[in-house]
Amino acid sequence: MSATAGKKPTVDQEVENELYKKRQKIYPREVHGIFARMRTLAMIALLGIFYGLPWLQWNGHQAVLFDLPARKFYIFGLTFWPQDFIYLALLLIIAALSLFLFTALAGRLWCGYACPQTVWTEIFLWIERKVEGSRQQQIKLDKQPMSARKFRIKFTKHLIWILFSLWTGFTFVGWFTPIHELWNELIHFQLGPWETFWILFYGFATYGNAGWMREQVCIYMCPYARFQSAMFDKDTLLVAYDEKRGEPRGPRKKSANPRELGLGDCIDCTMCVQVCPTGIDIRDGLQYQCIGCAACIDICDDVMEKMNYPKGLVRYTTERALEGEHTHILRPRVIVYATLLLILFGALVYAIATRVPLELDILRDRNTLYNETDEGLIENVYTLKVVNMTNRPQKFKLDVEGLKDAKLIARSDLIEAPPGEVVSVPVRVQVDPENLPQPGNDIRFHLESLTQPGLETTEEGRFLGPRPEM
Amino acid sequence: MQKNPTIYKEQQELPTIQRVVSVLWPSFLVASLATVLFFSLFDPADLGRLAGYPELTRTGGYTIGFFAFWLMTAISCGMTCYFRKPVHRPRID
Ligand code: SF4
Ligand code: SF4
Repeated sequence: MSATAGKKPTVDQEVENELYKKRQKIYPREVHGIFARMRTLAMIALLGIFYGLPWLQWNGHQAVLFDLPARKFYIFGLTFWPQDFIYLALLLIIAALSLFLFTALAGRLWCGYACPQTVWTEIFLWIERKVEGSRQQQIKLDKQPMSARKFRIKFTKHLIWILFSLWTGFTFVGWFTPIHELWNELIHFQLGPWETFWILFYGFATYGNAGWMREQVCIYMCPYARFQSAMFDKDTLLVAYDEKRGEPRGPRKKSANPRELGLGDCIDCTMCVQVCPTGIDIRDGLQYQCIGCAACIDICDDVMEKMNYPKGLVRYTTERALEGEHTHILRPRVIVYATLLLILFGALVYAIATRVPLELDILRDRNTLYNETDEGLIENVYTLKVVNMTNRPQKFKLDVEGLKDAKLIARSDLIEAPPGEVVSVPVRVQVDPENLPQPGNDIRFHLESLTQPGLETTEEGRFLGPRPEM
Repeated sequence: MQKNPTIYKEQQELPTIQRVVSVLWPSFLVASLATVLFFSLFDPADLGRLAGYPELTRTGGYTIGFFAFWLMTAISCGMTCYFRKPVHRPRID
């Protein structure tokens, strides 16, 4: 650290200094415009999915339910068990890669439009505006000393926020336990202690993050915001201010010709600063606090329109375009991400399409290598574990293959397995030593459902015997 | 360290909220990941039976597991922060 002392402060240090400042509340001004509309649309769609989807039924169960108490996941017609963890892992890797690809191409589009933090902050801001009024009214209200009126307004706001947060917490838990049952328990005051706890916990997190923390979550807490600079390059889409066109900035009359006054197109109205939810000035250049919400684009376009200047002083662009070069969409990193993504996605689809919801594990009895029966047959003992990963009870027929005249002895001819259960089946296999070519032989167990044709699996095991006599 | 008093001072003046966040938040993320991995391998109902609490529900098991992980990871993050604090060293140069 002492090596940097005395030098000009580096960007890192500036960032650090920024972090030590005490936070001032940001009052983002309301914006209208094409990007604001797109943000609202995205918000309605995402919140609709979050609050609505758990209520959707499908074939007699909740369409999408990550049923933790029952340890199975329903996604429409598919059911997944803990044994299917590999799919979840694959899905998470795909999600991460998509984010990389998306970030390289479109920068922080995710942050501005789809991140839950942004979406819930937007809706909390909307509630705040409905209750407290516009930006100026909010600032004025906060400066006033506490009065009955101020108390009433603040109380209303927090009450609505809290109720909304509790509903959010309830919905969140409803993604992981059946929401209809949860609702019944709620209205009859029979919620379990753990469910209650999680509703309150998630509700509190929503209220805290969207009501109080807001942009601080993006700046201090979000790992994505910190490491995305590694995914950016000069061709990444971002929100930027056209310095060449805007500077020197300064106020002027609408009728004046800025060129005669020696001014650029920025009239220094600071509207772009007022709308920014993270409280930065886009004209200072690229900043990691910028979540790419495009609010400043909308507002500046309004200003430009009023001034009769061309729009786009602040706009979606790339570093390269700002330097007057061409933007390349297809570049090595994009191609690599896209190829990887395609392969993984193909693998996932293939794996799910060919997935057999049946698993057979074979455990040989460890205590003895083999027994000899009174009839002179060689006997091996196994425990079979049958995992029925379908939604209904199954009856299975078991066969052995691979050794001549092998005799299978089990407690019953059929193996019955309830849905989603693991059953252990002890079996014995007897073979004439004549038919054992060597001490260790491969043997195959074949399991076939009688309830659901086509549901079958084969698993290999070892059959041990004595050294054959020469 | 003594050469750079500004940074030393600034670290002491880290806003409380940020100090709390830097311990609780990374540990939360890692604890969530650990919980998912752990409970996709082990069924909390089985673990509860083994530990002698057959009445423990799965949701309860997940919750306890998550907070136990969070406690562990938070201790680790807290110690990292603690050991990162500048100390007075004898001058060697
Ligand atoms: S809104 Fe546009 S004109 Fe106004 S200060 Fe910002 S960049 Fe300049
Ligand atoms: S600078 Fe503009 S795009 Fe970036 S966060 Fe602020 S308003 Fe949104």
